[in-house]
Amino acid sequence: MARIDAEYAFKGPHLLGLMGLDPLQLTSILDRADQYAERARSGLRGDAVLKNKTVINLFFENSTRTMSSFEIAAKRLGADVVNMPVAASSVKKGETLIDTAMTLNAMKPDVIVIRHSASGGVKLLSRKVDCAVINAGDGMHEHPTQGLLDTLTIRRERGKIEGLKVAICGDIMHSRVARSTTYALHQLGARIRLAGPRTLTPSDASDWGAEGVFTDVAEALEGADVVMMLRLQLERMDGAFLPSRREYFRFFGLTKARLALAAPDALVMHPGPMNRGIEIESAIADGPRSVITEQVEMGVAVRMAVLDMLAGGTPP
Amino acid sequence: MITAIINARVLDPASNTDVMGGAIIEDGKVAAWGAGIQSAPGSSGQVIDAGGLCLAPGLIDLRVKTGEPGEEHRETLETASRAALSGGVTQFVVMPDTRPVIDDVALVQFMTRNTPGIEARIQAAGALTTGLEGQSMAEIGLMKEAGAVFFTNGDHPIEDPAIQRRAMAYAESHGAIIASRPDSASLRGSGVMNAGPFAARIGLKGMAREAEWIGAARDLMLAEATGCRLLMDQVSTPRTLGFLSEAKARGVQVASTVAAHHLFFNELDIGDYLTYCKVNPPFRSEDDRQGLIKALAAGDIDAVVSAHDPQPPEQKRLPFAEASFGAAGLETTLAAVLSLVHDGPLDLLTALRVLTCGPADLIGLQGGRIATDAPADLILFDPDRPWKCLREDLNTRSTNSPFDGRLLQGRVMRTFVGGRTVFERQD
Repeated sequence: MARIDAEYAFKGPHLLGLMGLDPLQLTSILDRADQYAERARSGLRGDAVLKNKTVINLFFENSTRTMSSFEIAAKRLGADVVNMPVAASSVKKGETLIDTAMTLNAMKPDVIVIRHSASGGVKLLSRKVDCAVINAGDGMHEHPTQGLLDTLTIRRERGKIEGLKVAICGDIMHSRVARSTTYALHQLGARIRLAGPRTLTPSDASDWGAEGVFTDVAEALEGADVVMMLRLQLERMDGAFLPSRREYFRFFGLTKARLALAAPDALVMHPGPMNRGIEIESAIADGPRSVITEQVEMGVAVRMAVLDMLAGGTPP
Repeated sequence: MITAIINARVLDPASNTDVMGGAIIEDGKVAAWGAGIQSAPGSSGQVIDAGGLCLAPGLIDLRVKTGEPGEEHRETLETASRAALSGGVTQFVVMPDTRPVIDDVALVQFMTRNTPGIEARIQAAGALTTGLEGQSMAEIGLMKEAGAVFFTNGDHPIEDPAIQRRAMAYAESHGAIIASRPDSASLRGSGVMNAGPFAARIGLKGMAREAEWIGAARDLMLAEATGCRLLMDQVSTPRTLGFLSEAKARGVQVASTVAAHHLFFNELDIGDYLTYCKVNPPFRSEDDRQGLIKALAAGDIDAVVSAHDPQPPEQKRLPFAEASFGAAGLETTLAAVLSLVHDGPLDLLTALRVLTCGPADLIGLQGGRIATDAPADLILFDPDRPWKCLREDLNTRSTNSPFDGRLLQGRVMRTFVGGRTVFERQD
């Protein structure tokens, strides 16, 4: 496989977020991921560039999808993978976050993939360890591999990012996905509109690179080339931030009628897991314009690329 | 069907009109009006000679409580409608404090249904939080689509400022108006009348003005932060209005209402523990009352409401501290405000403005003005006619009026809704 070792390629040492990465670095990751995606489709596995290397999946928040995706990505590259769902382990026994990190560091892993419920939690840990750290989601801050896989999915479908109109709808305020995806797409020249209920939209989203923040979803959808619906945490829907599920669906749910406002061939995306009938109609989630399963597929490719670029050696 | 009302003093505050003339009503709408109307066009149709009475838009009342659904022994929509029409009120907003609470689309539709016997136009205010419990936001967007005119927690203002803020932010994005009673429950405590020397002397717990000021200041700050349109419900002290004008100067979209009884009574009217004078917010000091009247004359109050709150005798025939809050008001609002024309600084058009186009414009209701092609919701009233308010003569089902036994001046003689006579005084 051709290695991209140009001056500008992404080199780490960590992947804590997409904010701050320039278009060339982002493109280098996407290009590598694209190659892995193609190889996977043609039945080839990885390069074993992580052979004899240890990847620890340290998840302080429950996750099935992301942890599996990282695990598969690392295994395809030949790494030894240790999954540590810490939600149920030593942290409960009172060990501090930093103690956990130092303990793991002493075991000399090559990469630690971390998800933590606190914004900045992953960055804090990265300062205490000697290996590469990949942020698998920290609080309401960033989820860089999700941002990359969204971008890759769009790029593969449309052949480009520049100039595309992207609508991201839902709980923007609590979403690390919205932040990471917006940064990446904005860097690569997309025009992004965010939409959600007033109680779930931050006022500063123009600083993220979005063109606008709308409380009327129709305005965001108008002519969009890509429609990305975010997952709504159910506990936010029963009165605290929103009156009810049915009211959310009435005003923000992606229905056939709403999708008709977007471009005729608009892509429909969702980071999963979906709340069918709340943020998206089943017919659309399963419809011809949905690339939701492609997103999952690109997730593995992107994570392979990132692991490779941070810890990969020359294949044996 | 054409009806001509002639020989009337036509008063329309929206257009600053005060002329002798009349109005032509055709198909329930005003076809023509003003000084030129001297007779019906052609020979057909009915002619009503007003005999010099005042012709004005039907009154609009933004704050009425009923007992329907759930406590029909207090008041039904039908008895409230009858009381309203005899008081000149052709359109009113019912508060969501009912059983069940109006926090659902189906209940909004129930309140605003067309039913024979209910001839006043009824609008519903939706609950801001589910069950008015002050915790979970109610379905503001869906209720607004169903016709709810504004959203309020009624007599249970939300205590938690974080919840109030989110509700205001959410309402703003739906273009909804929030009406909020400025109050601070823990500070008000278990008070039953205005805090002050009189309360201390007669041994009743006081409700401090500070509770209103803190509540008002909080809601104004949140309105500023969220951009939400705020209706400050029943201001009872002039200092609260000071906060409002300060906020308005900073661009906050806020309007205020005052209850008619706060313009008429002060705390001393409680006298010998008169429970009909137990209301919340309480009758304040004479200085407060005078301050409100001054503000009204200066145009600083957007609407006067009846704050109609029917309470049955078993809730009022109790020691003062145990009696419920609330006063019937639909039938005395006009006379209470006219008293400020007779004995005070108000002119007739200013007095009518806060009862007609003022409230209508606040929440975007049709009505509140005499205008060509507008629904003919009109009243004929005699501004000078003296009468004695007696409970047993009132149309409301619960007759808990603080005006009971008072001599008043100014009375509605005939009320029209959609051009139809729906009330005519016989005596």
